[in-house]
Amino acid sequence: MKRHSTLVVAAVAAATALALSGCSSSTPASNAAASSSPVKGGALTMAWSADVLSMDKTTTFDNNSIRVMEQIMEPLFQASPDGTKLEPWLATGYTISDDKLTYTIKLREGVTFSDGTPVTSADVKFSIDEDTKTADTGWGFINAAIDKVTATDPMTVTIGLKYAWAPLIADLSLFSNGVIPNNYGGKTAEQFYTAPVGTGPFVWDAWKKGESLTLTANSKYWQPGKPYLDRVTWNVVPDATTRKLQVQGGQIDIDDTPDWSSLASLKSSAGVNALTFPSTQLDYIAFNQQKAPFDDVHIRKAISMAIDREALVKAVLFGNGAAADSLLAPGVPFYDGKTGAATFDVAGAKAEMAKSTKPAGFSTSLLISSGNPNQGAVAQIMQAELKEIGITMEIRQLDPTANKKARLASDFDMATSAWTMDIPDPDEWTSFAVDPNGGSHSTFTYYNNPDVIAINKKAQQETDDAKRQVLYTQLQTQAAADAFLAYLYYSPYVYATTDKVVDFHVTPLGNYLLQDVYKTQ
Amino acid sequence: MLHRLRFIPARLIQSIPVAFGVTLIVFFMAHLLPGNAALALLGQRATAESVAALTTQLGLDRPLPEQYLIFLAQLFQGNLGTSLTYQVPVSDLLVQAVPVTLALLLYALILSLFISIPLAALAAFRPGGSRDLGVRGFTLVGQGMPQFWVGIMLLLIFAVRFRLFPVGGYGTTQLDHLYFLFLPALTLAISMSPTIIRSLRSSMINVLESEYVGTAKSKGSYGISLFRGHVLRNAAIPTVSVIGVNLGFLVGGSLVIERVFALPGLGSLMINSIFSRDFPTVQGVTLFVALFVVVIGILTDVVYTMLDPRVDMSKAVRA
Repeated sequence: MKRHSTLVVAAVAAATALALSGCSSSTPASNAAASSSPVKGGALTMAWSADVLSMDKTTTFDNNSIRVMEQIMEPLFQASPDGTKLEPWLATGYTISDDKLTYTIKLREGVTFSDGTPVTSADVKFSIDEDTKTADTGWGFINAAIDKVTATDPMTVTIGLKYAWAPLIADLSLFSNGVIPNNYGGKTAEQFYTAPVGTGPFVWDAWKKGESLTLTANSKYWQPGKPYLDRVTWNVVPDATTRKLQVQGGQIDIDDTPDWSSLASLKSSAGVNALTFPSTQLDYIAFNQQKAPFDDVHIRKAISMAIDREALVKAVLFGNGAAADSLLAPGVPFYDGKTGAATFDVAGAKAEMAKSTKPAGFSTSLLISSGNPNQGAVAQIMQAELKEIGITMEIRQLDPTANKKARLASDFDMATSAWTMDIPDPDEWTSFAVDPNGGSHSTFTYYNNPDVIAINKKAQQETDDAKRQVLYTQLQTQAAADAFLAYLYYSPYVYATTDKVVDFHVTPLGNYLLQDVYKTQ
Repeated sequence: MLHRLRFIPARLIQSIPVAFGVTLIVFFMAHLLPGNAALALLGQRATAESVAALTTQLGLDRPLPEQYLIFLAQLFQGNLGTSLTYQVPVSDLLVQAVPVTLALLLYALILSLFISIPLAALAAFRPGGSRDLGVRGFTLVGQGMPQFWVGIMLLLIFAVRFRLFPVGGYGTTQLDHLYFLFLPALTLAISMSPTIIRSLRSSMINVLESEYVGTAKSKGSYGISLFRGHVLRNAAIPTVSVIGVNLGFLVGGSLVIERVFALPGLGSLMINSIFSRDFPTVQGVTLFVALFVVVIGILTDVVYTMLDPRVDMSKAVRA
């Protein structure tokens, strides 16, 4: 055999790699095990499908990186375990001025960074300012209402606002506002984030890129007796079947993202718990109102009513979830499930079609991510359901990055997508979803209802929870009436753990506090 | 002997245009993919503004030919560029991933020889016999089984049922690596063996029918010594080419195996960097794989030359 095939073989190898797709990413759910007396020591090993990318809290958007940095750097306030309230964390409390423009925050005494330096207001000011500066490519937009942060005295921080802003405390609970040493402890940002230092229960140890990341216990942690674990390791295990076998065999303690289809068999495995936790995830169909006929509310309503959500929950989530009935998920503060969102009603859908600009039906397409089995199943079911009301729907698959590009360019008819919250305040999502100036043209739908935008703005400035509830109920009602999205389902977070893992709890925001977790022998 | 290896320098020089061609193809093919690293990095909150800002920050808004020239200029200084995803030198990522994949391939090659040589001999000594049928049956089944399925089956049997091996991962010490890599290497070996067995079996049959084997037999040589001294060496010659070409393709096959067995090798790095549009890493990995295939080609010829004194590659090159 002669070899002129060198280039060909190399090209084939490259082409194989290019053609190979199939990394699905989904998010998991559960209940904390009953706690007896915690056991000190031991190492916890988790496995997830993708590696961490960076520890820079201000510019990193992938969930795995965020989960790790949350163990190292802590914010002033923390979402409660049920995700609806905010608890003081590195702060002990705050007061608001009468004009609602000045927040005075008291810091917790006796907290030190893992290197032993005490935390002062100068560190807090530096940390928040650092985040604010990244407004163009990072999380800085979350601090848009902040005018000025002042270190009033070593234990007091004053935050002046440009305008009244109710979500401020929730914003401060975001990991991007986590507290790090002033001036990066004398390092450059780049140096600092290769081995970040914070007040969290664990400290940076080692990262083998593409393979594993390890943190060790912070012996100076401010919560007495915690953390219980000596060490936490996250392994990169791309294949869901492999992760499942690893947790069943006890090689790992926690499988971060078991497949929906594997939950039943995991539940029946000896020594394994399949945990589900309520999430804030809403899966939805976005209608591109720049394209006819999706500018017609009757068309949007007809499609919304043609979708059998219970069937989706069964087929896609294997029964682990619920039909979506609002723009907000049940884990989001001010959620209201009785705001008239569309439910499955074929006759109603046909009636809406008759009232629409296309009574005889039309042809369209649904954009989904390739390699995402959930979206694939949704698309196939919808295709059959829309046929019932005279709509011919083509399924258009693009890999996740290409898919995002198409949505950003408004190059789609309908698209499947999902949202999860990072802070316990609905504004993060509502401003993105209903305000065309929220950065995304109303989550790429070009939905523009001045009434809804006005309600959203009012709710941002209202600090009274009862009044905010009224406003957000109005907002959810109007959004449902406009049917700018078709809400599909709420899915829980799913984790599979061995029965040795105790007190592993995930909040509706997706974060978990590993200082509370321990392993029985 | 050595004078017959004169072809190596020429072959190495020939590999330069090959490498250049590979960089050109990969660079422009990668950029045909829609979207860029900025989109991949910004997650669900990506807005047109933030994507544009990050695109500029990463230098991805420059004209493609300019980006390619920058890439080439860096390459001449031995610099493969910086990963857009990890913000570390691509060479750092390669240094970590290359040993994993090379160890896997070498291990698989050794295991496949352990499987193939006895089976091929078993089949060839009595063509058409029941053992031959059995071996040929095995090669058919072996070729038909998808690698990921074989991998999962091996995991289920040896790692889950009998707990002899770990379920994926790479381990930390050298001994660990040998232990952790056994099942993935065996998976690759099983998929590679049928081709080797078939090639080896048919050439063994030819050799066994040849006159010089008849002569050896008449001189009293039989069994293992006949096999080692006269059959295997001659029958191995065509098989060496088959293995050489297959090793190139195996690099592609290891992508799947690395995923199933959670190995942090080149395949995993390649797939991740394609999804995240981390072009410098894609280019680095591809360039490495291309050069690897070139080197395997040269090594194949070296072995070929050693085994068969009649072969003179330097003549082949000149022709």
